Amino acid sequence: MTRWFEDITIDEPFPLGSHTFTEDEIVRFARDYDPQYFHLPGAGAEHSHFGGVIASGWHTVVMGHRKMVDALEAEEQRLRGLGEEPGVSGPGAGVNRMDFKSPVRPGDTVTYTLLVSAKRPSNSLPGWGILTNQLSAVNQRGEPVYHAELIGFSKLRDFKMPLRLRILKALTKIPGLGKLLRNRS
Amino acid sequence: MNPITADRRHFEDLALGEVVGLGQITVTREMIVSFAREFDPFPFHLDEAAAKKSLLGGLASSGWQTAALTLRLLTDAFLSQIASAGGLGFSDLKWKRPVMKNDTITGTARIIELRRSRSHPQWGVLTIELDIRNQNNQPVMTMKLANLVEARSPVSAQPESAE
Repeated sequence: MTRWFEDITIDEPFPLGSHTFTEDEIVRFARDYDPQYFHLPGAGAEHSHFGGVIASGWHTVVMGHRKMVDALEAEEQRLRGLGEEPGVSGPGAGVNRMDFKSPVRPGDTVTYTLLVSAKRPSNSLPGWGILTNQLSAVNQRGEPVYHAELIGFSKLRDFKMPLRLRILKALTKIPGLGKLLRNRS
Repeated sequence: MNPITADRRHFEDLALGEVVGLGQITVTREMIVSFAREFDPFPFHLDEAAAKKSLLGGLASSGWQTAALTLRLLTDAFLSQIASAGGLGFSDLKWKRPVMKNDTITGTARIIELRRSRSHPQWGVLTIELDIRNQNNQPVMTMKLANLVEARSPVSAQPESAE
């Protein structure tokens, strides 16, 4: 999230935009990552209960990630435009749940929305907060495509590093000693 | 009868506790950059200099790429060999360690749950636990994945079935 941990509001929907899945990209993703017969034309998809080619659920999920990266980048630019310093988001830690609700067919348009449902400062990573992110995807008919609960990190703006950690950080800057300390830990 | 899956293993042929060994795949710089450009365009997945300065300490694959490559290994070793009727989703996905440029990943898939669908007697629900490791046998990613499987004989589910 490009907002500081302190600025993130709970349960406020953050629109991530839409993506239309063409048959070409559905097939390209499936060939690389999910070559099951109902994802590939000419492989017998019509015999599946889907009745034709559908996108890999994972394709719709990684596209949701792409939309999130783009939206956060745009938000960062917006904040800089206002003369504010954007916050810092950390790497994704994992996914609690990802439920596929309905298949995506060639030509379908999927709209993604992010919502932070909970946040708390991290115990193990000083200076960072842990976010519970809800990501929902719906198609052009308003039917749910998937819902996910993901764990993310966001930096605290008002974090004051404890003295113990500040000393340790200063020590690691001394050549030789820093390397020794890092190798020990 | 579905002619594509007729000769494949069906729900009744799967055993709880069965372990499937996955193949392996080496993640090159070109693969990392190409996936990142399309799905995860953070500078630390696109540029080696930016990657060196980041928390990752070098060019590493997107966690989503590790997951997608795992799906490929699982499809080749298992999902394309059974009468798969599509994924239901996944849970408890944990990225344990970044996959760095030229790392080779492999792993195992273990069947941890098999149950009949209550609403669709022609299907069973299969839950697989995935344990993905790098060339030094260090854990890279774990997750549980749920998939529908066609049953040979459509019977109604036991009352305790959740779906």
